[in-house]
Amino acid sequence: MGEMEEKIKELIKGTGDKEVLLEHEVKGFLKELGLSVPCGVFVTGPCSALQIKHLKKPLIAKAASRLYSSKSDIGGVRGDLRTRSEVNAAIKDLMEIRGAEGVLVEEMAAGRLEVIIGGIIDPQFGPVVMFGLGGFFVEAMRDIVFGLAPIAKEDALELIHRIKGISLLKGIRGKPPADVEAIARAIVVISEIIGTGLVEEIDINPLMAYSEGAMVLDAKMRVKRPG
Amino acid sequence: MLEFLFNPPGVCLIGASHSPEKLGGIILKNLLRYGPGRIYPVNPHYDELMGIKAYRDIKSLPETAALAVIVRPAPEVPGILSELAGKSKCAVIISAGFSEVGRTELQEEVRRAAKEAAIRVLGPNCMGVYYPANKLDTSFLPEGRPVRPRSGNIGVTSQSGSVMASIYEALEASDAGVSKTVHYGNAADIDEGELYEYFARDPETRVVVSYIESVGDGRRFIEKAAMLAREKPLLVLKAGKGSSGVKAAFSHTGRLAGSYEVFSSILKQFHIREAANFERFIDAAKALSYQEPKKRGGRKVLILTNGGGDGVLASDESMKEGLDVAGIPENKYLRLKSSFPPYYGVGNPFDCTAESKDEDYENVLRELKDDYDGFIIIALTVVSGISERIVGILKNLRKGTGKPVVFVTGKDEIGQKMEKMAEEAGVPSYPMPERAVRALKSILE
Repeated sequence: MGEMEEKIKELIKGTGDKEVLLEHEVKGFLKELGLSVPCGVFVTGPCSALQIKHLKKPLIAKAASRLYSSKSDIGGVRGDLRTRSEVNAAIKDLMEIRGAEGVLVEEMAAGRLEVIIGGIIDPQFGPVVMFGLGGFFVEAMRDIVFGLAPIAKEDALELIHRIKGISLLKGIRGKPPADVEAIARAIVVISEIIGTGLVEEIDINPLMAYSEGAMVLDAKMRVKRPG
Repeated sequence: MLEFLFNPPGVCLIGASHSPEKLGGIILKNLLRYGPGRIYPVNPHYDELMGIKAYRDIKSLPETAALAVIVRPAPEVPGILSELAGKSKCAVIISAGFSEVGRTELQEEVRRAAKEAAIRVLGPNCMGVYYPANKLDTSFLPEGRPVRPRSGNIGVTSQSGSVMASIYEALEASDAGVSKTVHYGNAADIDEGELYEYFARDPETRVVVSYIESVGDGRRFIEKAAMLAREKPLLVLKAGKGSSGVKAAFSHTGRLAGSYEVFSSILKQFHIREAANFERFIDAAKALSYQEPKKRGGRKVLILTNGGGDGVLASDESMKEGLDVAGIPENKYLRLKSSFPPYYGVGNPFDCTAESKDEDYENVLRELKDDYDGFIIIALTVVSGISERIVGILKNLRKGTGKPVVFVTGKDEIGQKMEKMAEEAGVPSYPMPERAVRALKSILE
């Protein structure tokens, strides 16, 4: 555990003095800690063919801004992009959004089961990790559970099994079960990050859980800065 | 050492009064019932109060006044504690007017004065301790208002005095008894965590129930609560469930994390029971005081009734509570079907109808006692075939299997008698099937 804590501290040092990190910065952070993120490229202008050659189409383009907590709410997402000209048209549009610092162009991920994993500093309990079902709709469904952070892998598994919609994770209507081990690993990583006390809030929403593996599709992080 | 809180060789009352209308008079009257030690009332104007010797000041108190109960105005309390150095080891501060009204510096002064005087403090702004087996009552609740519960094995902690009074009434009405109760008020020194540590080791306490509004240090609370819950059942009633997501709209997590949701979830993480409301809190407290919970007790319950409708109510509630109203094993079904009249409902619930007799219950239980983890026995007394023999049958079931058994019976004279007998035999009784089911669940959890 100490090893991951050390690594997280190093990574936070590397973020300079920014409080709110951009999506691709958070994904880079999480990738260093062993979580899967979509292949993509961060651009601040039109992209070249070389930049997106290796990416599997279709692609998704997302505005990178520290100002908004929800990109989709402000129309900051363009999906189903298949050609370079489509990508560049999207980039042009998105760069016009107020506060946009760039655009993250990624491979579109297949849909399976959306879960949310987050970390906060609770006034009663200090660092706390949250797990929930629902991704985009989590605030309506509120199928969420909390645990003290940092959390061990076995406890993360127990946490997962406490949600109401556990049958969705176990696989229903012919769908195979989701990779609960991968979800648990992600919960452990997020709990370690919030457990350092150096981060105010962190969110992976959604983590897309597949029958094998899980991928961070969107993430936010706010670092604790003095003052 | 909290022993001085519960078994002091002597108790002094700072702020004793001659009048049974004043707090200092009510407390004195309550304290005078204390068996194991002398009471030392302190009041500068009297040499005698309520028939015993009174002291004009703290200086003149002997060292045996190990527990001090203080009911003087708040600003006097720090000075009183300093004066009690060397005389008392523990103080219950009844006085109000500290951090609960914003006077945090005054409360800090109390804490410091107590530390310097080497006195442990309960409160301030509390009623202190009720320990019926020792006849110790430091509160300002007059005798009979409310009626106190008898001596028993439930340990109670409460952050609120008025809720503690309600808990007394409810436990007394349920015929459940308490080992020790502590209202800890502002918890300037002794807090619920320390009380949990005490109760974990207390042989007189089998189950601890706790009414909580807020905890200071959440991690410390959970650590102590989890440690207690590993030894004996701990049941929490948490008040203040209002939804309040943390102000930050930045992350989904921040918006979703209401302080009650986090609290409740973390209680589950550490296997600490939580009651949804006051009635369930009391029903579960009673059940856990009568019957030890079984670790991994199982979920299969048998409902044995002579009232079909009551059986259905019990069945519905069981399913709501996640219990398994499992059918009768196939190999036993035919045998049972043939041993009873055709209009008996052979199944689960098992309905002995209005023709039921005591022996029916005995026969069914003999056959099925090994197939279920818990039993809900409904014996309505509106039928003539039911008698007190039922209680003996229940007693044998408990003795023979050690499994949880709960009882529902009528409210008439025979029913009341059976209820009393059942509870004397260690089987808790409830007036309605749903409450009995929830009580059973709390034992099986």
